[in-house]
Amino acid sequence: MSISRRKFLGWVGAAGLSTTIGKSAAAATNKHFTGYPKSFAILHDTTLCVGCRSCEAACNKVNELPQPDKPFTDLSVLETKRRTTTKAFTVVNKYDNSKGPQSPVFYKKQCNHCLEPACASACFVRAFTKTKTGAVTYDSTVCVGCRYCMIACPFEIPTYEYDQALTPRIRKCTMCYPRVIEGLLPGCVEACPMEALSFGKREDMIKIARERFRKYPDRYVDHIYGEHEMGGTNWLYVSGTPFKELGMREDLGITPAPQLTAGALSSVPMIVGLWPVLLAGIYAVSKRKEKIAQTEQEQALTSALDKKRPAESETEEES
Amino acid sequence: MAKGKSLRIGAGISVAIIILLIGFMGALDVTALSKTPVDTQSIEFRSDIVTFDNMEAFGKLEKTKAVFLHDQHTDTLEKKNKDCLACHKTENGRMSPKFMRLKDVGREELTKIYCDNCTKCHTDTISAGEKAGPVKCDECHKERPLIQSSRVPMGFDKSLHFRHYRAQKNKCDRCHHEYDKKNRKLFYAKGKEGTCRYCHKEKPEGDDTEKVISMRFASHLACIDCHQKTQAKQMDAGPLRCAGCHDAQEQLKIEKVKNVPRLKRGQPDNTIIKTGDKKGRIARMNQVPFSHKNHEEYNDTCRVCHLASLASCATCHPLVGSNKVLKNGRDITLETAFHKRGHQSSCTGCHESKQQDKNCAGCHAFMSKTRQQESTACLRCHMVPLPERTGELSTSRAAKMARLMPQLWKETFGPIYKVVVPKTVVINDLVDQYEAVEYPHRKVYDTMVKKLDRSKLAQYFHYEDTMLCLGCHHNTPAAGKPPRCGNCHDKPFNENNLFRPGIMGSFHQQCIGCHQKMGIEKYTGCTSCHKERKKQS
Amino acid sequence: MAQVTTAERKSIFSLFNLIAFIVLGVGVYLTYLRFSGGLASVTNLSDYNPWGIWISFDLLCGVALAAGGYVTSSAVYLFGMKKYHSAVRPAILTGFLGYALVFLAINYDVGRPWRLPYPLVVQQGTTSVLFEVGLCVATYLTVLFIEFSPAAMEWLGLKKARSLVVKLTILLTIFGVVLSTMHQSSLGALFLIAPSKLHPLWYSPYIPIYFFVTSIIAGLSMVIFESTLSHRFFAYKMDETHLQEANGVTLGFGKAASYVLAGYFAIKVLGISTENHWHYLTTGYGIWYLVELLGFVALPSLLYAFGVRTKSLGLIKFTSVLAVLGVILNRFNVSLVAFNWHLPSSERYFPHWMEIGISVFIVMIGLVLYRFIVTRMPILYEHPDYKDAH
Repeated sequence: MSISRRKFLGWVGAAGLSTTIGKSAAAATNKHFTGYPKSFAILHDTTLCVGCRSCEAACNKVNELPQPDKPFTDLSVLETKRRTTTKAFTVVNKYDNSKGPQSPVFYKKQCNHCLEPACASACFVRAFTKTKTGAVTYDSTVCVGCRYCMIACPFEIPTYEYDQALTPRIRKCTMCYPRVIEGLLPGCVEACPMEALSFGKREDMIKIARERFRKYPDRYVDHIYGEHEMGGTNWLYVSGTPFKELGMREDLGITPAPQLTAGALSSVPMIVGLWPVLLAGIYAVSKRKEKIAQTEQEQALTSALDKKRPAESETEEES
Repeated sequence: MAKGKSLRIGAGISVAIIILLIGFMGALDVTALSKTPVDTQSIEFRSDIVTFDNMEAFGKLEKTKAVFLHDQHTDTLEKKNKDCLACHKTENGRMSPKFMRLKDVGREELTKIYCDNCTKCHTDTISAGEKAGPVKCDECHKERPLIQSSRVPMGFDKSLHFRHYRAQKNKCDRCHHEYDKKNRKLFYAKGKEGTCRYCHKEKPEGDDTEKVISMRFASHLACIDCHQKTQAKQMDAGPLRCAGCHDAQEQLKIEKVKNVPRLKRGQPDNTIIKTGDKKGRIARMNQVPFSHKNHEEYNDTCRVCHLASLASCATCHPLVGSNKVLKNGRDITLETAFHKRGHQSSCTGCHESKQQDKNCAGCHAFMSKTRQQESTACLRCHMVPLPERTGELSTSRAAKMARLMPQLWKETFGPIYKVVVPKTVVINDLVDQYEAVEYPHRKVYDTMVKKLDRSKLAQYFHYEDTMLCLGCHHNTPAAGKPPRCGNCHDKPFNENNLFRPGIMGSFHQQCIGCHQKMGIEKYTGCTSCHKERKKQS
Repeated sequence: MAQVTTAERKSIFSLFNLIAFIVLGVGVYLTYLRFSGGLASVTNLSDYNPWGIWISFDLLCGVALAAGGYVTSSAVYLFGMKKYHSAVRPAILTGFLGYALVFLAINYDVGRPWRLPYPLVVQQGTTSVLFEVGLCVATYLTVLFIEFSPAAMEWLGLKKARSLVVKLTILLTIFGVVLSTMHQSSLGALFLIAPSKLHPLWYSPYIPIYFFVTSIIAGLSMVIFESTLSHRFFAYKMDETHLQEANGVTLGFGKAASYVLAGYFAIKVLGISTENHWHYLTTGYGIWYLVELLGFVALPSLLYAFGVRTKSLGLIKFTSVLAVLGVILNRFNVSLVAFNWHLPSSERYFPHWMEIGISVFIVMIGLVLYRFIVTRMPILYEHPDYKDAH
């Protein structure tokens, strides 16, 4: 396999130029994203939530979701634990209160709008966008429906319209992005009578949470859930009882999801660059060994023949 | 044939690996498969569990600690007409709580005492044809997750002390003693009686020559012995079984004497708390009139305030702090001792704990624990001016002043507002989905006043009618007509007032929060406070 | 070259054809159901379990089992092991069909299959491992197609085109190995993003490497397995070279697989050791992990070694099935059994019979196509016109 000098230089030049195209593989860096400045967040204080489900009703109205089987005023649904569905972007669940058995604790669950969302990292058509307002939005016009985002989300939030044959979509809370960019409050925040949901800049939400810890130290567990979990989220929680008791996973760690696959992805350029060299080298070596084996065989043959030939040539010359 | 042979050998290797796998499974402690989860319903809770942990003094344990069920043995032996002396020896006329010995012994001997005696009795019982405890080592030394201790600590309160006092015909020397170091003797010192725990602590202290035995040992040595002797005389006595003292249910059955007569130990009735230290410095704060007599009524023990001795607080707590690390509370200043929040022994701490009562929590749960009180709040207690202004007071005059001061203060300094509480307040600030709230303000106020009247402490601190208003009309000086909620609470999530809830949130947090804390369950659901607004077409 | 006699050609109503007909018929009906009623009508997928056996089996196992293509072609063309030459074309064919069927299965699984080109042409989600999988699989399918095309061209008599393509062999082989390394490992890397959902014994930062190594094992074992099946059903199509080299292929690949399995066993154990997950081995999942590791990795390694040593072809062929099952088991474990292990059993997934039906349908298409190609194109024999080719 011979190649002319010109051709070789041409290939190398083209390969070099090609490295200048494209954006940086931000997925494969170890930069820590702390959120767009002035992005909004929501602080959910579970000590204030009374489980009235006004937030669920408001979400249903704002997003024009279909009416559920049981109305939102029916609090008996709280007896079972629910998850988000294609018809309910947010659900409130009831838990036993280990600090006060008479008063249960309520916790509103929805997309946490992570700072570095797993869904956005996992989506191979970039259907998810982390917007400057803090909301993680979904674009159903490019979604292929591979559902990798559902695998990736550590909070098990995205739901899929499996019953739609031709237009199935992923459904999840949008932090009411269209409302927020107009200066309105998200539907659930506006509806909550107890102000168990506070809305404002993420830094301010953290300040408020810390102030509440300072003022009422025996009322709260000294931890803001979402401050660092999975690299930080734009939906923060404070609680009076351990978060585990509210069904919130405390073992997720602080590594943002994109960082989990950054290692594997960053090896791709290396493989693309080095494997061909390695394999071409192996090929060259094996070809060389063949050649050597061939040459040795020929040499062995000629030397064997030479041993015979002097006798023959003598007889030939003689004859 | 090579093929057949190799197939057979291949099969053999497969079998070997499978056996290895099974063996591996079996050898390991397969938690998920073998151990059935402990059914919490079947756990037996006993208050008589004695875990033999004496071997811990000798280092690492070879076996798990044996768990002994004392009452079970007591009851069984009783049926056989045997008493405590079957296992406990007596010395100096008193029964030792130690098992089959009077003194502590070395490791080997201790092991022998327990193992030999226990197994002997059990073996004898079995040969007599009855059920008995274990005879093999591992049957005693095993984990017993299905038996858990429910032992509740026991102590004297003034009622129980009074009953003992009465039974002993007021002879304090029966139980109270001091220790003479020089002569190494116990003796009775009149006027110096205190709780046993002032000397006998959780763990024994001192060395072998002068050991102060632990409270656990001392109490069982003294109490059980006396109970046993009393019972032997066919008189009413305290319990001999563990459960009699340490079972929660049994403790509730202990007779409580109402109106325990006051124990005279030279304490004042009313006094002015003025403090000084050994260097002759005196506290510069206004002094506090204090009714020691009343506080004796409010508490069940002396120990709750007098932590380490019945002397005055200044005996241990310094007036001025230092940067040394001292023991036994000597590095806690007097100020901390009197004012530490969250601690039952301090004045402020005890008073604050009373705020958690259901009748008070409606307002008090929402007052930040870390809030800084204005300095005038100190005057509620610190109301006696310093001697340099009043001159030295004799004891009797100090007592008189202590008794009269609070009333005088109230009449002299308390501002009087004319509080006009409206009957109904119509809250219509947020009428939208719901109609206005017709808040029965007068009714709520009157209920709170009634609750107030039941507590002397509450009355003392809510000395003015307007003090009650501050529970809801907060962050504003007391006034006859306090501001409306909406004057301060406006749009929620306001960057100008980051920590202040918006108006809707403030209403609901205040009202619903109060109802929750006070255990009021009447108002559930939105429409119990405001009717739904019928949409006008 | 063996002659195809009419006597040996089977009747159209053979047992296989009958079963194939039924399966294909049911498959067509299920396809209709899938696209008229959506995924809910044919699957047991849920919001907690978005990936079912179409991903676990058709994608993860399919790609692994089709790995024989790059393994064989790299062994023959890059490492110069000419004695396995006759195994190349069948392996490439299996690879090509395998990947084509993976693509077919993906069309069933994703919500909007007509948008499958979107990641390439509309918006590239380059942060996603799935993007890399998609890109590499699509490219590799093309590579396989090109590698397979000489056989088709020989059948169609396109001499010039064929000679052009054959010149690209080495390049394509290298490219194929590079692409295979990337996407085989990336299939494992898909699960790196969900550590909270995968059991610690199966989740490891080394998953990509595990998947890559098992693909080699699967490739080697599948070549042996398929050669066994081909000899059983298509021996009449095989030429002298093929028949002679066959045993050598079995022994050689068996030997290689033994080594790779041993290495894989070692890195699995090292993986547990570095994370200090020994205590998990005493749980229920741990026992299952040991079954997978000891029964389907250690055991085949030993059996292969033993079979090669004693030249016992039967044992090697049996072990190849064991090894293939092991790879399938591992992929199932990672994506179904150990996935969502923390959820209560009411939320766990078990495939709907229709999902299994579609998977069987897809496999049947593969078998039918394989038979079609193998009985017409020079896969198991060399075309007389192109005997000089190598």
